[in-house]
Amino acid sequence: MLCCCCYCQMIPSESHEEEENEAPVKAKRSKTEDAGGEEVVYHPVKLSRSDLYRPPTAEELNQLKEAESLFHCSLLKMQMEELLKEVALSERRKQQIDSFIQTVTKLLRTVPESPEVEVSDLSWLSSAVKVPFLLVPKTTKGKFHMTPPASVDLIGSYPLGTCTKPRVMVDLAVTIPADVLHPKDVVNQRYPRKRALYLAGLAQYLASSSDIGSMLYSCLHGNRLRPVLLLTPPGKDSSSFIVRVHACPPPGFFKPNRFHPQRNNIRTEWYTGLQTSQSGKISSEPPTPHYNSSVLGDLLPRAHLQFLSAVSSQCSAFADGVALLKVWLRQRELHQGAGCFNGFLASMLIAYLLTSHRISNSMTAYQLLRNTLNFLASTDLTVNGISLAKDPDSTPSLAEFHDAFQVVFVDPSGHLNMCADMTACTYKQLQHEASVSMQFWDNPTVDGFHSLLMTPKPMIRTSDHIFQLCELVKLQSSCKKLNLLSELMDHSGNYVHTALPYILSLLQRGLGQRIHLLTHSLSPDPEWSVESEAPKHKAQPPLSFGVLLMPELAASALERGPPADSPKAAEFRQLWGSRSELRRFQDGAITEAVLWDGESMCQKRLVPRQIITHLLQLHADIPESSVRYVGAMVDDVIKTGSELPSTGEEESLLVVQSYDDLSRKLWRLEGLPLSITAVQGAHPALRYTQVFPPLPLKLDYSFFDREKTSRSLVPKEGKPCPAYITPITVICHMEGSGKWPHDRLAIRHIRTAFHIRLGELLKKHHNYTCRPCPTHLDVWKDGLVFRIHVAYHREPQVLRESVNAEGLLVVRDNEEAQALEMATIHKPLLTSTLHGLQQQHPCFGAVCRLAKRWLGAQLFGDDITEDTADLLVASLFLQPAPFTPPGSPQVGFLRFLHLLSSFDWRNNPLVVNLNNQLAATDYTEIKNDFTATRESLPVLFIATPKDKKQSIWTKRAPSVQMLQRVVMVAAESLKLLENQLMDSNQIQDVRVVMRPPLDAYDVLIHLNPKQVPRGIMAGNVTQSGGALPVINYNPVSLYMAELREAFGDLALFFCDPHGGTVIAVLWKPKAFIPVPFKTSQVSARSVVVTGEEANTVPNVEAILEDFRIMGKGLIKSLEARTEKWSL
Amino acid sequence: MAPSKKKHASSQPCIIPGGFTELSLQFSSDSAAQHKLYVKEHKVRAQKSSHRPLDRTLFVLNIPPYCSEGVVKELFSQFGCVQSVELRDHPGSFQDSGPKLSRFFKPVAKQGFRVGYVVFENSSSLKAAKSHPHDVSLVVCTEQRPVKTGVQKWIQQYTESFINPDKLQQIVDSFMEGYDKRKEEEAERQRKEAEQQQEDEEGWVKVTRGSKGTKGRPHSEAANERTLQKEMRKKKRKELLNFYTWQHRNTQKEHIADLRKKFEEDKQRIALLRAQRKFKPY
Repeated sequence: MLCCCCYCQMIPSESHEEEENEAPVKAKRSKTEDAGGEEVVYHPVKLSRSDLYRPPTAEELNQLKEAESLFHCSLLKMQMEELLKEVALSERRKQQIDSFIQTVTKLLRTVPESPEVEVSDLSWLSSAVKVPFLLVPKTTKGKFHMTPPASVDLIGSYPLGTCTKPRVMVDLAVTIPADVLHPKDVVNQRYPRKRALYLAGLAQYLASSSDIGSMLYSCLHGNRLRPVLLLTPPGKDSSSFIVRVHACPPPGFFKPNRFHPQRNNIRTEWYTGLQTSQSGKISSEPPTPHYNSSVLGDLLPRAHLQFLSAVSSQCSAFADGVALLKVWLRQRELHQGAGCFNGFLASMLIAYLLTSHRISNSMTAYQLLRNTLNFLASTDLTVNGISLAKDPDSTPSLAEFHDAFQVVFVDPSGHLNMCADMTACTYKQLQHEASVSMQFWDNPTVDGFHSLLMTPKPMIRTSDHIFQLCELVKLQSSCKKLNLLSELMDHSGNYVHTALPYILSLLQRGLGQRIHLLTHSLSPDPEWSVESEAPKHKAQPPLSFGVLLMPELAASALERGPPADSPKAAEFRQLWGSRSELRRFQDGAITEAVLWDGESMCQKRLVPRQIITHLLQLHADIPESSVRYVGAMVDDVIKTGSELPSTGEEESLLVVQSYDDLSRKLWRLEGLPLSITAVQGAHPALRYTQVFPPLPLKLDYSFFDREKTSRSLVPKEGKPCPAYITPITVICHMEGSGKWPHDRLAIRHIRTAFHIRLGELLKKHHNYTCRPCPTHLDVWKDGLVFRIHVAYHREPQVLRESVNAEGLLVVRDNEEAQALEMATIHKPLLTSTLHGLQQQHPCFGAVCRLAKRWLGAQLFGDDITEDTADLLVASLFLQPAPFTPPGSPQVGFLRFLHLLSSFDWRNNPLVVNLNNQLAATDYTEIKNDFTATRESLPVLFIATPKDKKQSIWTKRAPSVQMLQRVVMVAAESLKLLENQLMDSNQIQDVRVVMRPPLDAYDVLIHLNPKQVPRGIMAGNVTQSGGALPVINYNPVSLYMAELREAFGDLALFFCDPHGGTVIAVLWKPKAFIPVPFKTSQVSARSVVVTGEEANTVPNVEAILEDFRIMGKGLIKSLEARTEKWSL
Repeated sequence: MAPSKKKHASSQPCIIPGGFTELSLQFSSDSAAQHKLYVKEHKVRAQKSSHRPLDRTLFVLNIPPYCSEGVVKELFSQFGCVQSVELRDHPGSFQDSGPKLSRFFKPVAKQGFRVGYVVFENSSSLKAAKSHPHDVSLVVCTEQRPVKTGVQKWIQQYTESFINPDKLQQIVDSFMEGYDKRKEEEAERQRKEAEQQQEDEEGWVKVTRGSKGTKGRPHSEAANERTLQKEMRKKKRKELLNFYTWQHRNTQKEHIADLRKKFEEDKQRIALLRAQRKFKPY
């Protein structure tokens, strides 16, 4: 009771104290803010105590609460705001645009009139300006004359306020006066031609004006019927924005129901030029929905603008939401080209969601984006179209739209399908992107902002396999083969757009379960100068198709069809043609089936290619030669095997199987003084990531000598170096026991005794040739060498302990203990974890091998070690956002290069969530620890579940300078490789990215190729049990080790570990500054005496001589580039 | 380099500040370039070691990696009989290396440039070495004394790395025998010390400081820390949390402070990102 009172008294006094504190706090706070404004370098925030515990105002509390509840963290909200600032137009830019628009409008109003002529008569046009139209067929009726436009208005994103950088487009609608047109002009392309003539007339007039910078023709979303004129301002502003001039009919000039998707507006007779018997009967003519919508689209832009401005005036965040969605679309390359999901559609979609009350007017831009993506992910517009129309009765029904178009989104008038040109595949891609985005948005461990809005997703890095149709002319014959004449007429002869949906659905059927998604590039809007003719349909870059594979099914060589007697069999046979055959299976069923060629994994990966080329040839008349398949071009560099091409999966599997067998045998051994508690692999070959997995080979005995006691082979002088046989490390943990000594030397000796004993037992029971050493036991099994290390789990602890002078037992971490832990704990763990990853993602190993091959070839093998590289690749599979996990080695390799070159290593830790052990809180913890101690951490920081704070794998290397170089070379390689893969005209080999630039180095040591071991091999299987071959003898690495030990503080040494025949040497600039003579710093230096001072400088001549002496027999020549440094 | 050569007349010893004399050394007689060895008589103030007698020991700097102890011994025997040679990575005092280890158990020596302590039998040899003319080089590899480098050396190393398992077992056995013996001796000594602390006939106990390990309490840093932590925990358990209103209010205050801190952190991070222009999407 008494006690309680005591406290009661205390409470008021304390709060009182607090109030007193308040006043000075405010002053202090404003001061710190001023100081913090100019800071650039990040260091952990230190708020003073009083700052943190200041009583909050209501406003601040709201702000904090909002940030807390709406977003993962307030960071994302701020990031979005910053991003919007980046893409928004500046006031200065707006002024420039407005003044230029005024000039153009003024000019347009003064277009001179011309006399009325026949449409086909182009004599009024000067020869310097061409008509932006492909006149096929040539003849057309009607009269045309130039008059000043009835009105000039701004339309589209600029007046709406949703215009964003870069490539600022301002749309200007020029209304063609009614007297130029005729209500019947809708038929037979008469109106589009008149419009093109009108544009040409405008261009001719504007060309004479000095207020216009440059002038180009283009067409709207790749639709050749809708040419536009692109104007840029003169002078230095010419690249800052583009004015796009559209010519439009007067509003309401044509009746909208003429453009019903089932009406015909192009007569077959006129189009083909043939007199058919039924001509004149409109009812039998095929409908022309695409043509109709392209004309109708011209009629409505003003109405759309009105509609959108009405919506946007209701919702304050409308413009920002649209801007974010546009950025999102642009990063996914969906924003432009034929059949794109452009900014206009984005605004319309948000408007639809607002008017249908799926999102409310009071939401923020962030919420608009999120809800729109959610809607896209969950709604399939290819099946259930949506409409903005208010009274659906007087307009065509959605079903009628679905019959005519693949994707349906009807505009407010109810007559126009705004997604008329979009293919179902593009919409599926959009849907896929939206659902993937939603997934990682909800994942607190992913940097949502960055992967959502900041990472570009070009097709080459998104799709697992890519193929290109190089000769688009071939699609003309496809149209013929697929019998698409009326569709061709509808598309006004654009055979590319006509054939595309049919080819896509054909491939979709053929690839079926093998793929997740089929995408295609959107052909960009062509631009051409006003002085040249409109380019032909074939004159566009090749069509690229991307495929996202299903990893389990993509590589199966068998396509099993329906039973032979089922009605579906005919369909199956029709699809596959002669490749389909009757087969009997083990379960007794007799079915139609197609068997593709493919024995090794690398061949099987290309089964989709066989399917694609076969189907295109069979159904679309596209020869194999015009299909360029970019699925496995990079794989060549890790290809081995002469009879059966293979990228190493099979060989790795053999190694793993042999190891499993050995481990089982070790477990079963009896007669050891202590039992074995664990057998773990600790070598890249045991996780499928060794660049060149061991291969069998024949040994030539004349190349070897014999060792005297054990009759093992040893290399012979004067002969080429034997093939390198890599020992595969296996860690064998022994049971802990009181019998183990507590002394480092004694433990080492006991371990040796275990090696000897293990060797004896393996020899006795399984007749393996063994070679015990103090550090390990080599076992020669199945043509492979396993190097068994016995480990005792307390040994690192013993190494750390020491007794200090006062007799106190102190535990101090040291390098020796760390190295031992690395070898016996971390490496085996990493190996088994990554082995598991390979089971989930079949191409993990191949990506690792490509990545390491590249690192080796670029001489970075010692800086980004094998383990680091494997971890980096693992992160691509575990945290693929914004992509999906790589489904082919090539795309994985490209993303590896992208990761290296674009990740912000300075300010971010790379978290590799192995086995999914890290929760969101761990991520923040890692991040906070990282920022707090950034300076003392490795430059390349990788955190794993077992290692959150230290980044043990990258502690030693790379250094800042090396990382910089890696980043630079990776960016360069990526650019080169992507160009090479996407450009069909490239003749150069992709291996060019594997050639390092050597001009940066000071000395090149060329090696004698005969002494450089070829690849990494295993011995011949039949010799197992015989003499031990030469193991782990690599003159190059021995030489490198000697060089580094002797001259490590003077120079850096680089070499490709995969058979490189050159060692590159780079002097350290610091080592060449003369330093005062000191007994501890005279290695390889000579003394220069100047007066009283004695300084030392490196004795370069003698060092070069030493390079020769130490590498005697290995060196071919020494190339010193003396111009780089002064002696 | 060049001026220092000119300053001294040829066939004169070249002396540089610090009392060092420069000797040149080349790998073979046809080598183009020479390394410079710097030699001086061994001089230390504090320590006197029988291994490095002051008047007879020559301190040699900058010995190239391909010169083993044997090679150095022969190189310097032209100045007089050499008693012993010690090569080390860094200059420093002589250290005893514990129990004798066989070749296979020794840690691998670093193969860089080393310093050497050459002990002559006569002190006159020191003078002879120091007055050696600097333009007459010492030659490492001669016909009588070939030094293997490069591929030859690596093949030799590989061949020598083989060891007969029986012999290896012997080495292990003999080491462990020695180890056990040392352990036993240690245990014996401790037992004796413990005995000394027992009561004698008259009931007196002799209290001595005793060496490590004799006491019941583990005498280690970790144990000390553990005890400290235990105390802390005990103290903490006694405290009451969220019991009084002011405590409750404090937790709320902490929460707001947390939010504030996060907000400030994010703001700073943004400032940094903005400085690095990280918001340009393309």
